[in-house]
Amino acid sequence: MILPEFDVLVPNTVAEACGMLSKYADKGVRILAGGTDLLVDLRRPIVPSEISSCDGCATHKTGNVRSTIDCGWWESDSSPESDRALLKKVQDSIHQYPGYLISIHRIKELRGITTNEKGSLRVGAMTTVTEIERSDIIREKWTALAEGADSLGSPLVRNRGTIGGNIANARPAADTFIPSVALDGVLVIQSEKASRKVSVDKFATAPGKTVMEEGEIITAIEYPAPPEFSGSAYYKLANRKALEICNVGVAVWIALEKPGGPVADIRVALGAVGPTPILAESVKKVLIGKKPDEEIIKKAAKAARDDARPIDDHRGSAWYRSMMVELVTDRMIRLAVKRAEGEA
Amino acid sequence: MSKNNSYRILNTRLPRVDAIDKVTGKAIYTDDMSFPGMLHGAILHSPLAHAKILNIDTSRAERLPGVKAVVTYKEAGTRPYGVSPARYDETIFCHDKVRYTGDEIAAVAAVDKDTALEAVNLIKVDFEELPILLDGLHAMDEGQPQLHERYKNNICAKVNWHFGDIEQGRKDSHIIRTDHITSKMQDAAFLEPQSVVAEVDSHGNLTMWSSTQAPHYVQRTLAMALNMPLHKVRVIKPAVGGGFGPKASCSTVELATCLLALKTGKPVKTTFDREQVFLHSRARHQFFHTMTTGVKKDGTLSFLEHHCIMDGGAYSSFGIAAVYYAGSLLGGPYRLKNMKYDGYRVVTNKPACGAQRGHGAVIARATFEVQLDRIAEELGMDPIELRLKNVMEAGETTCNELYVSSFGMKEALEAVRDSAAWKKKRTLAGKTRGTGKGIGAACGFFVSGAGYPIYRSKTYHCTVVTKVDEVGGGVTVTSGAADIGQGSDTVLAMITAEELGLNLDDVKVVSGDSSLSVDLGAYSSRTTLMTGHACKDAARDIKRQILEVIGGKLNIPPEKLDLKDGKVVGINNDIDFSALREEYLQEHKGFTDLPDGPELTFREASRIAFLEIGSVVGTGSYRPPKLGGSFKGATVGTSPAFGCSAQVAEVSVDLETGEVTVDNITGAHDCGFAINRTQVEGQMQGSMMMGMGEALMEQIIYNDKGRIMNANLAEYKIPTSLDVPHLDAIIVESNEPHGPYGAKEVGEGAIMPVIPSILNAIYDATGVRIDELPVTPERIIEALKKKRENK
Amino acid sequence: MKKLVTLTVNGITHELAVEPRRTLLEVIREDLGLTGSKKGCGIGDCGACTMLVDGVATFSCLMLAIQADGCNVETVESLAENGKLNKLQRSFVDLGAIQCGYCTPGMLMTATELLRRNPHPSEKEIRRSLSGNLCRCTGYQKIVDAIKAVAGE
Repeated sequence: MILPEFDVLVPNTVAEACGMLSKYADKGVRILAGGTDLLVDLRRPIVPSEISSCDGCATHKTGNVRSTIDCGWWESDSSPESDRALLKKVQDSIHQYPGYLISIHRIKELRGITTNEKGSLRVGAMTTVTEIERSDIIREKWTALAEGADSLGSPLVRNRGTIGGNIANARPAADTFIPSVALDGVLVIQSEKASRKVSVDKFATAPGKTVMEEGEIITAIEYPAPPEFSGSAYYKLANRKALEICNVGVAVWIALEKPGGPVADIRVALGAVGPTPILAESVKKVLIGKKPDEEIIKKAAKAARDDARPIDDHRGSAWYRSMMVELVTDRMIRLAVKRAEGEA
Repeated sequence: MSKNNSYRILNTRLPRVDAIDKVTGKAIYTDDMSFPGMLHGAILHSPLAHAKILNIDTSRAERLPGVKAVVTYKEAGTRPYGVSPARYDETIFCHDKVRYTGDEIAAVAAVDKDTALEAVNLIKVDFEELPILLDGLHAMDEGQPQLHERYKNNICAKVNWHFGDIEQGRKDSHIIRTDHITSKMQDAAFLEPQSVVAEVDSHGNLTMWSSTQAPHYVQRTLAMALNMPLHKVRVIKPAVGGGFGPKASCSTVELATCLLALKTGKPVKTTFDREQVFLHSRARHQFFHTMTTGVKKDGTLSFLEHHCIMDGGAYSSFGIAAVYYAGSLLGGPYRLKNMKYDGYRVVTNKPACGAQRGHGAVIARATFEVQLDRIAEELGMDPIELRLKNVMEAGETTCNELYVSSFGMKEALEAVRDSAAWKKKRTLAGKTRGTGKGIGAACGFFVSGAGYPIYRSKTYHCTVVTKVDEVGGGVTVTSGAADIGQGSDTVLAMITAEELGLNLDDVKVVSGDSSLSVDLGAYSSRTTLMTGHACKDAARDIKRQILEVIGGKLNIPPEKLDLKDGKVVGINNDIDFSALREEYLQEHKGFTDLPDGPELTFREASRIAFLEIGSVVGTGSYRPPKLGGSFKGATVGTSPAFGCSAQVAEVSVDLETGEVTVDNITGAHDCGFAINRTQVEGQMQGSMMMGMGEALMEQIIYNDKGRIMNANLAEYKIPTSLDVPHLDAIIVESNEPHGPYGAKEVGEGAIMPVIPSILNAIYDATGVRIDELPVTPERIIEALKKKRENK
Repeated sequence: MKKLVTLTVNGITHELAVEPRRTLLEVIREDLGLTGSKKGCGIGDCGACTMLVDGVATFSCLMLAIQADGCNVETVESLAENGKLNKLQRSFVDLGAIQCGYCTPGMLMTATELLRRNPHPSEKEIRRSLSGNLCRCTGYQKIVDAIKAVAGE
């Protein structure tokens, strides 16, 4: 087994989960939802990307590898048992392994897809991506989210992976996160003492980092009811047709004043072209109040490209991603307009 | 095409003999095995790509409770081993240097896997970092870091061949082009990670179960590297989840696990994590090909000048053969009188490359077939017509002295042309070029079993021992051949059943065990032809013995008898078997399931033969005749027979994003004769998928420290069921005179045309050539952008 | 510290003490000795370990055994009844959908779930549902053909 040692707690209610989160905060605690990201992240690599080393060890800090274990505790005259403890400490400090996982699969209130009388949508955080993919109401009214679900990983990932986990993990390429930004999703976040709401577009601060605080748990994502003459679309650009990490992803939500009329509102979310999914604010300035003709959509797509901040990495180069942001935004705006007009 | 001959068993679509075990979960793979008291092994891999080892301290690992043994070079010794005796450049563990990220330094056996992994982390190794070399193209340059003292300028092998007269070829040419293609290192991505269980009995006999393609070679390497007598080492191959080449060489995980078993006296199991499969690699090299080809006005090829640098990673593995294959297999399938080849295999601080489906020839083939397309375009000729003009026929010999005894190249090319409606679609090409829809063709050529073993020897390449059950009725085929999923056990069972007139269920195949027979293993697409011969001979040996006994008893010359449909039959049908029947019945009082009817069953005949002469055992041995020329390296590329194939690929390319969809693949392969039609198609379809992945998405990506950035199956992308289109496999049968029943290879030859046919189709769809593999969307957009800018 | 987990596997209920970090795949293979389900990657990329957990196709390498507490688990060993292959298995055997066999158990379980949910899937639906189960031998063609043959009945 390559998973590190941890204990797993299984609460039955959100309140119980919140209590556990506070209680074990100092031991390192993570919420385990579908496990499709967390259990992968927790695995110890065979060849460590960093050398086992104690905190503050000089060679560790300079990054100059001279030994597989390079720090003071090796020299200390310890017992076999403390070897084990020291090694665990070193590895925990490098990998930030949690002591506890809180598996929230038994909490019924975290599941389900519901709409209220105003027509807004609530998706429980533990709703699986497959459940979203198969929801007719989501496909009809929050199409971009359904398309995000369609394109996430593989059917097996979707069967286990949850929307809450996908968003909480805060990866810039997360396939339900990107459309949730465009669809103006709001996260309902609960702690032992309070509940608060955070707009999805304000949620992630850096790769893997969010505004969530110790002791908090996402319980649901809410999406406003789509107005008349609105539509949305998501496309993920990748190298193969399944099991893919998005290279560039664009989600668009658009509302028209009337069919053929000017744009009442638009939200464009860009994925994998910045440290977090990006809400392309400049697009609004270009499009709102204007008729979405070819010229203006082109301009809007350019604006999206200017909002993107892609980097070069082993998955693709910045120039390609930048070019694709413009192209895919252009395509998705057209598609969303068509949908808003009831054509597609 | 369907079966059109008198065989009962051969050439049909009978299910594989291991199919039922595999759909019920009963098939046992190495990692499924466990023994009482079994320990678990783990390996310490180097975190650095190039460094001196100053000191290894295993004291804390050794004292960790639960640890039973820790081994390093101090216990393992430093006897060099490898694949080719001339290039033994590996040791079980690193002792002076580590040469790639992942190089093996030590191994641990402990009571459970967790403890073993923990102990590995408690081994302290002090390194002195050395400058690292990752750039294969420039590895030979002055001033580069040197990996091995013996490989000056990092050249571990070079080949300089000149056949015919290049200068004359140049003079005869109407068009001469030079083109390049560069690929990336690739992984075989078999589904089953390597796994090993080793055990030593109380007499010091070592038995190792391993996920291997070549029990015989592995047995030899274990004995040599562990300094043990060969007969004390036994290698058994349980069910294997794919190999495709990398599992053909003996690996550190095998050696280390045996060493741990020897040291502890307990069974030890070590199973690779997927990351280790990538670290260990031994898969496809990186190739830098430059080819200059000349043709006459009418399209006749006049010469090929080929320069190749192969980045082979840190050690030689199968790479010596690879550098020869990259040159030699361009001798066919076209008539080419003049060929020059300069090949260099260099070492770099990356995991070692070895053999992978098609060995060294795949990217060379792709480069050449793309170049032929470009030449056809310059000549204004249809690319299939250009190929048809040049294809060899049976009975011809290539410029590098490869004799082609059967050759359905023309038939294969015409089959894909017609089946894919090439002419109709291609006439549109003038109008559709660059509009996003494309069609492309290519051919391929491959050995049907390497003509010589890896080590210099007169050894038979395979032997088969078939024994009739003493109780009568069934037979057991024993062989060292390695069924790694390609279906060789089924081939052996079918041949035996055909020869003895039995049903498949009456034939048991026990294989993949070095103690049963010599068999060089599952590589170079050799098993059907070579082990097939031995198997056929063994069955005929049995048949002869049985018929001699029966004929003797009945006073009928044995040649007037035959075994058919589970019975002994005579040329004229009026033989009275009643005396023999009575003899059999006398022995089986109380049995109710007894033969009746006028004929003598195989069950009776085989029992009576045993009663007469004792054990009825048939043997067969095969080795090819002397093959090939006398020039240096002439042995690599020789084969008793050659397979050939053709393919048409159709693609759609999104010209704005560069996304490629393969819409259709139509392939035809000349396998001589299909022993099992379903399995031949399966090999072709699997080749299509693998070639498609290599063409479009597969590449190992290293960072500047030599670490693999995508050592997993999420980011090392192989095609999924959504990427692969309908795969149309057409079997061509040319009746190979040197093959059993006319059969020859399909396992590797079928991949040859895949990559270039897709590349040619992409050109047709986009109007741009991409000379770097894999052809990712980004590379297409880059090429389109360049084209626009150059206008 | 080990925890008690109740698993119903192929109709038999087991109470097991397991370390919390152990995956469902490890427990089924190592503790229950059902080795039909394979580990190809350990991180949910290949699908060789696919089981049905409460009827849902699940990669068991990324599910902790503790998360399956109280669940009904079906593995490849459950498909044949009284030594007789079911239709899907028979179709895999007859149409040559198997080569090395390492992906086969996972493929069968994914296909089983698909056919329960959708007895007559189109080729596209079949390919989509298999897209998390990698196969390196067959090019998927004969696997798709075998499922289609059952679905067409």
